[in-house]
Amino acid sequence: MLQIRSLNKSFDGFKAVNNANLDVQKGEIVAVIGPNGAGKTTLFNLITGVLKPDSGEVIFKNENITGLPPHEICKKRISRSFQVVNVFNRLSIFENTQISILSREKRTWNLFTPSSKLAVEETNELLRNVGLYEKRDRISGALSHGDRKVLEIAMALGGNPEFLILDEPTAGMSPEETTRCIDLIKGLREKFGLTILFCEHDMEIVFGIANRIMVMVRGATIIQGTCEEVRCNEAVQDAYLGGSDVCLM
Amino acid sequence: MDVTGILNQAFVGLSRTVILFIVSSGLSLILGVLRIPNIAHGSLYMIGAFMAFTISRLFGGGEMGFWMALIGAPLVVALISLFAERSVFQHLYEREHLMLLLLTFAFSLIFGDLVKIIWGGDYKSVPVPQVFQGFVPLIGGLPFPTYNVFLLVCGPVIAILLWLLVNKTKIGKISQAAAVDREMVGAVGINVSWVFAIVFVIGCLLAGLGGALVAPTVSVTLGMDHTLIMEAFLIVIMGGLGNIWGALLGALIFGLTQSLGILVWPQFGIIFPYAAVIIVLLFRPAGLLKATW
Amino acid sequence: MVTGFFSGKGKIWWIVALVVLCIVPLVLPRFYVYMLSIILLFGLLATSNDFPLGFGGLYQLHHAVFYGVGAYATAIVITKSGLSPWLAFLIGPIISAVLGLIMGLICVRLSKLYFGMLQISLGSLVWAVVFRWYSFTGGDDGIHGITVPDIISSYQGAYYFTLIITGLSLFIMYRILKSPYGSVLQGIRDNPVRSAMIGVNVKKHQLLALIIAGFFAGLAGVLFVVVDNTVFPDMLFWTLSMETTIMCLLGGWLTFLGPMLGAAVIILVRTFVSTYTVYWGLALGIIAGLVIFFMPNGVLGWFQDVFKRKANLAEVKE
Repeated sequence: MLQIRSLNKSFDGFKAVNNANLDVQKGEIVAVIGPNGAGKTTLFNLITGVLKPDSGEVIFKNENITGLPPHEICKKRISRSFQVVNVFNRLSIFENTQISILSREKRTWNLFTPSSKLAVEETNELLRNVGLYEKRDRISGALSHGDRKVLEIAMALGGNPEFLILDEPTAGMSPEETTRCIDLIKGLREKFGLTILFCEHDMEIVFGIANRIMVMVRGATIIQGTCEEVRCNEAVQDAYLGGSDVCLM
Repeated sequence: MDVTGILNQAFVGLSRTVILFIVSSGLSLILGVLRIPNIAHGSLYMIGAFMAFTISRLFGGGEMGFWMALIGAPLVVALISLFAERSVFQHLYEREHLMLLLLTFAFSLIFGDLVKIIWGGDYKSVPVPQVFQGFVPLIGGLPFPTYNVFLLVCGPVIAILLWLLVNKTKIGKISQAAAVDREMVGAVGINVSWVFAIVFVIGCLLAGLGGALVAPTVSVTLGMDHTLIMEAFLIVIMGGLGNIWGALLGALIFGLTQSLGILVWPQFGIIFPYAAVIIVLLFRPAGLLKATW
Repeated sequence: MVTGFFSGKGKIWWIVALVVLCIVPLVLPRFYVYMLSIILLFGLLATSNDFPLGFGGLYQLHHAVFYGVGAYATAIVITKSGLSPWLAFLIGPIISAVLGLIMGLICVRLSKLYFGMLQISLGSLVWAVVFRWYSFTGGDDGIHGITVPDIISSYQGAYYFTLIITGLSLFIMYRILKSPYGSVLQGIRDNPVRSAMIGVNVKKHQLLALIIAGFFAGLAGVLFVVVDNTVFPDMLFWTLSMETTIMCLLGGWLTFLGPMLGAAVIILVRTFVSTYTVYWGLALGIIAGLVIFFMPNGVLGWFQDVFKRKANLAEVKE
């Protein structure tokens, strides 16, 4: 479904992404892991159009989407959540999610119908699916961190995506919140048939739900493979044990 | 229009450039390091000019008066700005730019009326000191005011002094670091608050200096703050925030397009500098030279 | 979020206010009616300024240009062409809207302070042209004695015209802010990156905000022509833009009625301070300074915050 071919991106001579290659099949859950600064977020930014690659291609469903601006990428039904919570702080959870849905329904140029009358049922249903329905009128700037991260995911889902990119979805969450979030992701994937690409630092999660794993270190891809292949790979063990305090079980 | 006429006009423009540069460099420092868009900068320039008038009169209006004014006026402005910074601005560094901009606008309103209260609404004039009176024959024999030559000498001197201050002194380097990451500088144990105060005061002192220097060449009146502050802002944005050479470059462009523009098209010549700013910003939105943020 | 002011028992106060506003010219002397007209049109100007500023996140720092251009366009059409003044009233805001589009296209590539500064440079250029083009705009003198249709030429007529146009304009802007476009615009204000990621073409939506803001600012300019029968270059000067922005801030730049409140306060204070002293700038500076320091969300914003805290407290207690 998604193919990344030889993606490269440098910042002032620093190679953030070095010849990245990846294939994601429909319905898979693929994880990208690597120490901090390995280039995972940059990779996601390149796929979603926030950054333009120096060279290489991103192909989605046989269409070349390299370098398209983010709002075009969204229209191809690729959605994304951010590592640092990126929501509309002054608006309520309901409004945040509703905007995402209104955008998908191409209603953003509607100047005269009150928003309160549009997409209410769809918004409520989405909120129920992610478990935020009871809190829907709270201002998102005032929520707990865990709730805000779930809202991130809700907003990504508002675009009714086929392909979901999650950048450290459980970062900063407490253990209960993390379990809830993972169950949520698994449930959503089953219910909506999503293909998911995500990155995480928590290896339990990664080995728990990913079908395949891609390992990046300092911008370069070390290995792509199943959980078993990655676990036993020496280069990966080097990279992790050699500098990070993440432990591969 | 012959070459000598154009050159003469260009030199007039250059004299204006010096004043614009001095004021703009101060503004650029404040905006580049403290991230405050200081609209009151124009008022401080105006206070510098009025203060020069008063000090000059205090010392008899002649030579002595001029030099005392040149030293005294910027110092008074520096004191005023120190007071403003310590009492108000130092509590607001975390606020959004828009708030700071409007706050400095509020200050400019207050200063404007204070000037009216203290000095009244008439035109004031500061006499040119004996040693700078008269004219100097320039290219082609056209007379050029000696005082303007003095300005043209001051310009580069101040530019070099500022460059030394920012790049070669400890305080300069600390302020450059603080411009980029104030938290880090604080974490290293440096009293960022005092660094900011010093930079703010130096920036405002430059505004006062500009006012004192320009005083003998223009009628010192209310309203001189309004035109100047916009020009200074545009120069700073055009040159790159926090960049002294950028301020010089911007002032050159602005001053020259203004004076030559009026020569070429007397009625609408004043739009040329604005057009220059727009063109620069279209191609280099962050300014001509490297900004601090 | 735009809190609903038009719900439930709120409605009764609106009707009262409307009735009061309607009988004012029948009971108050001319000066007060004139002042109220000025408050209304500046309220419209401030609200149109807040549209891209408080609800769109754009540093709309030179809004007065659109106001001045709308006023001048109207004045010039009335005095120099044979067209009907009613047509002039329409041409003014349209030209302002077009100017909003043109300036927007140039400025919208930049963000925050840079956007504002570029807008100020473009606006200053427009001001300079108006200031110098004596033959067309009257230059430094401006244009005086502009004739308006009889029905609105008296001070009461002008007032009612202003009341109706301001009321309609505010209603339209309110509806727009409550619409999907309005939500998206506020989303862009809070997080343009997120907005792009959910499929919103940020620049295009911002452009529309600038066109709408320009249109209503131009309309405020038309109202000034009707009320005062003059135009002058200071209407385009950056100091007026700053004052307008302070009106937004004073009343509450994140609320819909904040700018109108701010305009009322500033004009009232200016009028009454001016009767005692000529140092009106000092007063405005001090007021603005105090508001920015202690109530950065403005008066209505402050009330909203207090209200919200009480609501949250109540929620927690449940």
